[in-house]
Amino acid sequence: MRRGIFLSLMLIASILVALMVGQVDIGVADLWQGLITGEGPGALLLGTIRGPRVATAVGAGAVLGLSGAIFQTLFRNPLAAPDIMGFTAGAGLAVVAAIAMGLALPMPLVASLGGLVAAVLVALFSWRRDAATPPLTLILVGLGVGFAASALTTFLMTFLPTVAAGEAQRWMTGSLAARDWGHVAQVWGLGVILGLLTLGQVQSLTVLELGADLAAGLGLNVERARWGLAGTGVLLAAVGVAVAGPIPFVALMAGPFSSRFTGARTLGGRLAAAAAAGALITVLGDLAARAAVPGIQLPVGVMTGLIGAPYLLWRLSREMERGEL
Amino acid sequence: MSLRAEALTLGYRDRAIIEALDLDLPRGGMTTILGPNGCGKSTLLRALARLIKPRGGRVTLDGRDIHALPSRGLAREMAILPQSPLAPDGITVGDLVKRGRTPWRGFLAPWNDEDADACADALAAVGLSDLADRPLQELSGGQRQRAWIALVLAQRTPLLLLDEPTTYLDLVHQLEVLSLLRQRNRDTGLTVISVLHDLNLAARFSDHLVLLGPDGIVATGSPQNVLHPDRLMQAFGLRAQVMPDPVTGSPMVIPL
Repeated sequence: MRRGIFLSLMLIASILVALMVGQVDIGVADLWQGLITGEGPGALLLGTIRGPRVATAVGAGAVLGLSGAIFQTLFRNPLAAPDIMGFTAGAGLAVVAAIAMGLALPMPLVASLGGLVAAVLVALFSWRRDAATPPLTLILVGLGVGFAASALTTFLMTFLPTVAAGEAQRWMTGSLAARDWGHVAQVWGLGVILGLLTLGQVQSLTVLELGADLAAGLGLNVERARWGLAGTGVLLAAVGVAVAGPIPFVALMAGPFSSRFTGARTLGGRLAAAAAAGALITVLGDLAARAAVPGIQLPVGVMTGLIGAPYLLWRLSREMERGEL
Repeated sequence: MSLRAEALTLGYRDRAIIEALDLDLPRGGMTTILGPNGCGKSTLLRALARLIKPRGGRVTLDGRDIHALPSRGLAREMAILPQSPLAPDGITVGDLVKRGRTPWRGFLAPWNDEDADACADALAAVGLSDLADRPLQELSGGQRQRAWIALVLAQRTPLLLLDEPTTYLDLVHQLEVLSLLRQRNRDTGLTVISVLHDLNLAARFSDHLVLLGPDGIVATGSPQNVLHPDRLMQAFGLRAQVMPDPVTGSPMVIPL
C-alpha cells in the first residue's frame, strides 16, 4: 500500500516536471498562477501547449498499462501484451487505412475495429480443436499478425501524399505532438468506461488465475469470461493507440514493473498499479523525448522503444533460462 | 441428493473413451474411481464435474442435468479440485483459500462472517491455520496440496470431487491427505469422490469403489466386493491375491 502511494506520488511529480520542462521552462509558481487566473505563460502552456499533451500521455499510458496487465494475467505470461501480440499494430493499421481512404470516422472506433480484427485473427490462427492453445503459441502467432499489420501499414503509407505520410510515420512511432483537449476527452472518457468494465471482471480474472478447471469448478463461465476480458483488453489498447499511436512496450513493461515495485497482493491493486505505471512510463518517455535532442521533439515511441527493447531482450533470456521458451 | 451418470459417452474427436456408462454415486460416503491408465477415470471425473461435455447421455444431480444448471448454483453444490491447479505468483495460503468463497460472493460484496468462518474452518481442517500468511511457494508439497484442499473445502459444498489428489506425494503425505478427507467426511457428511491409483489406499479409505477397465465399468460396490482377483485381472490384467489387511481389515491387494 505504501509503495502504491509512492508510485502515485512519482506519477504526480513526473506530470509536474513534464508541464514545467520543455522548449521553454516554467516554474511551479507560473503554472499555479496560470491555473488560477487563466492568464500568462502558465495558462498558455497548461491550456494549449503542454496540458493536453501531458493529459493525453497519462490517459494513453494508463489504458495501455492496464491492457498489458490484463493480458499478462489472463495468459499467465509476462510476454503477453497487446503490443507484442499485434493488437496495437492492428489498431494502427486501421487508423492509417482510414486516413488513406479519407474516411471521417472517430479514431477510437477505427482503432478498436483494427485491434479486434487482429485479435480474432490471432485466435483463429492459433485455434486447436480439442486442446487449449498454449499462451506462447498465441504470443508467437500475435507477433506474426503484428508484423503483417505493420507491413500493410507501410504499404498504405506509400499512397499518402508526402506530408501526410510523414505525419503518419511519426504517428506510427507513437507520438503525443499536437494533442488537444478533444484527444484528452476521448482517452479519458473511454478509458474510464473501460476501466469500470475491467473492475466488473476482476473477480473473474482472480478465479481464472487458478486455471480453467478450478475456475469452472468455482462457478465461472470460463469461455465467456476469457472473451470478455480479452475484448476489454483489446479495446483499452485501441483507445490508447487512437490518441497516441501504437507506443511500443508501454503495455509490456507496465505490469511487471508495477507488480515488482508495489508488491500489490490483490489483483485489483496490481491492475491499478499497472495503469499508474503505464502513465508514468509514457509521461517520462515523452519528457525524455522532448528533452533528449535540443530543438527537436522526438516522438515518445522512440524513447519507450529505447527502454523497452532491452527489457524485452532481458525478459526473453529469462524465459529461456526458466525453460519457458 | 445424488450424482448419477446415465448412458454417458465421453471422448475426444472420433475416439470414444467411455461408452454408455451408467453409474450411481451414493451420497455421504467416500467413493474412489480406480482403473488402469487410459481407461478414462479422469475423463469420467471431469464429466461428473461438468468440465467436459458428454458426447452422449448425461450427468444428473438430483435428477437434473448438470449442464442445464446455472454455473454458480452448481458451484455451491459441487466442488472440484483438478489435477494441476495453477498458483498465482506470490499468493499466500490464506488468500488462496479465500478464492474458494467465489460462488457465494456477489459483485463487490464485502467479506462477511460466513466467508471468514468458512476459510478459518477449512484451514483448520487441513491443519494449516498457522501458515495462512505464508506464501504458497514456500510450503512443502504435502502442505501445498492441503492448501488446495482447503480452498475447495472453503467452498462449503456437500459434494467434493478430486482428480488424483495424492499424485506426486510420498506415502506419509498421501495418508495425511486421505485421512483429512475421511475426517471431513465423518464430521460434516461431505460426499467425497476421487480418482486414485493406489488400490490398497483406496480400499482403506473408501466406502464405495468404482472399478473401470478398458471396456467400461468392471464392478462397483464396497471394497470387499470390488477388489476380487478375477475383477483385477479383468480391469488391469493383473494377477493378484487379495487378503484382509492385518491392521485395518480392509482388502489388501498383493500382486503376484
